[in-house]
Amino acid sequence: MSLRLILAAAVLAAAPAGAVVAQDAARGASLAAHNCANCHGADGRSQTEGIPSLAGQQPGYMTVQLILFREGIRDVPAMLAFAADLPDTDIEDLSAYFASLPPGPPDERRPRDTALYAAGEALAGPHLCGVCHLPDFVGRAQIPRLAGQREEFLVHAMTGYRDGSRVGVDTQMNDAVRGLSDGDIAALAHYLSQRD
Amino acid sequence: MTPLSEVPVGALRLPAGFSATVFAHGIPGARMMTEGPNGTIFVGTRAIGRVYAVTRNADGTTRTRIIAQRLPQPNGLVMVGNSLFVFAINRVLRYDNIEANLDNVPAPVELTEAFGLPTEAEHGGNHGWKFATLGPDGRIYTNVGANCNICEIDRDRFALLVSFKPDGSDRRIEARGIRNSVGMALHPVTHELWATNNGRDWAGNDWPNDTLHRVRRSGEDHGFPFCSSRSADPQYNAGRNCSEFVQPAALLGPHVASLGMRFYTGTMFPEQYRNQIFIARRGSWNRERLTGYDVVVARTDAQGNVTGIEDFMTGLRDDANQRFLDRPVDIHVMRDGSLLVSGEQMGAIYRITYRQ
Repeated sequence: MSLRLILAAAVLAAAPAGAVVAQDAARGASLAAHNCANCHGADGRSQTEGIPSLAGQQPGYMTVQLILFREGIRDVPAMLAFAADLPDTDIEDLSAYFASLPPGPPDERRPRDTALYAAGEALAGPHLCGVCHLPDFVGRAQIPRLAGQREEFLVHAMTGYRDGSRVGVDTQMNDAVRGLSDGDIAALAHYLSQRD
Repeated sequence: MTPLSEVPVGALRLPAGFSATVFAHGIPGARMMTEGPNGTIFVGTRAIGRVYAVTRNADGTTRTRIIAQRLPQPNGLVMVGNSLFVFAINRVLRYDNIEANLDNVPAPVELTEAFGLPTEAEHGGNHGWKFATLGPDGRIYTNVGANCNICEIDRDRFALLVSFKPDGSDRRIEARGIRNSVGMALHPVTHELWATNNGRDWAGNDWPNDTLHRVRRSGEDHGFPFCSSRSADPQYNAGRNCSEFVQPAALLGPHVASLGMRFYTGTMFPEQYRNQIFIARRGSWNRERLTGYDVVVARTDAQGNVTGIEDFMTGLRDDANQRFLDRPVDIHVMRDGSLLVSGEQMGAIYRITYRQ
């Protein structure tokens, strides 16, 4: 995306009320069908290992992540090709579309392991996950939905935050997972992935 | 970008006579602010990596340009004459004559080596972002945060307030043992340095407080990691008596994330606000119940002692539902005496005015 387009978008966004174009989820659906569905699932529920589900994701979170991909700040090589030239309007429409989809777990979600679930639940409280992600883990604004996310993706994300290979929009997630063992992360991921 | 209709200006609560409007919006991640001689408001960010320039159109609306992007957490901005300095962790960039070149920003002068600040790797992801301000002595004041939540830090390199000549030379430690300051200002009369500080995490809901620090003499020790908010750290006190350190000038609340602070030097607000300290509290995360998400005023007496902390701008924290509507990060006093408050969550800048 050219700087000129970014400027145009920023100027548009700074215009008075009424001049701001609303996000167009229908347009987002058409963009997603061509660019996202292959990996993230036709209905936004990923059936592919290592790829997150996007259905019901917070639009503010998705918008920021796509900007970070586009601008090379969040380094996920697989996303770079898709995000590199994405105009702001496409990002907002895509985010609105995925937010409009009903969230849900992958079809092959493994059955609940009662002990692991309980261990994850016991960690979520003292680690204050629900303070930002909300007690039902649906997220808000730039803070993502976690409930029903793919388990191995949650492990990947938390491990990245813990080990410093991923930094969020701010560094709170790095602080929140610091000191967690691999076992702790596995328990939290299982607990969150089993929430609906 | 958050549309204007979703910017929660209507929820803001202010003392009688004050009112708030949206000065600018569509500025994702808006954090620290500084103003150029021609009135451009420059806005820094963290993860989104951008620096914005907000100018006013003749009809009172604003125009926002992105003047730099893909920088590592360009949070610290300061104007020195016509030059904008951008502090992005250890990168220091100087954009000369910036306001004349907003549409075609030339390559900046690279001052990273001259300042020699710790790199992102040396910070280990912790508290690398900067706040920057200009002193009446012509020096640039900034922070070097602790490279951990709490640990045995190198106390000559981290958890400092430092100042430099604008060319990056002559580094001076202004204060030691300040965990992570993301707001500071020099008193308009006494020229003493004051700073906000973020206390450590994971030590309970109500300890420690964030703190306000007054630096009477350069180089004094304010106690981190041994002591925080006037008491011993439960793990890292190392047998130190907290009375040997400079005590904070005020406690600002547990985990509130006290960030941008400015002395009110305008004349629009009532006389009682003159030279008082406005502090943006971005709001807690390391706490079960939300706290902060507001702007407070630290009142000081003629001797410079803090006599109280009072609410100024509230309404962004919804206690009943434990939700927040925006996160205030910085304060800026405009030349007309109105006050700008940046809201990072909504990418908006609020303008507060007073009329009798």
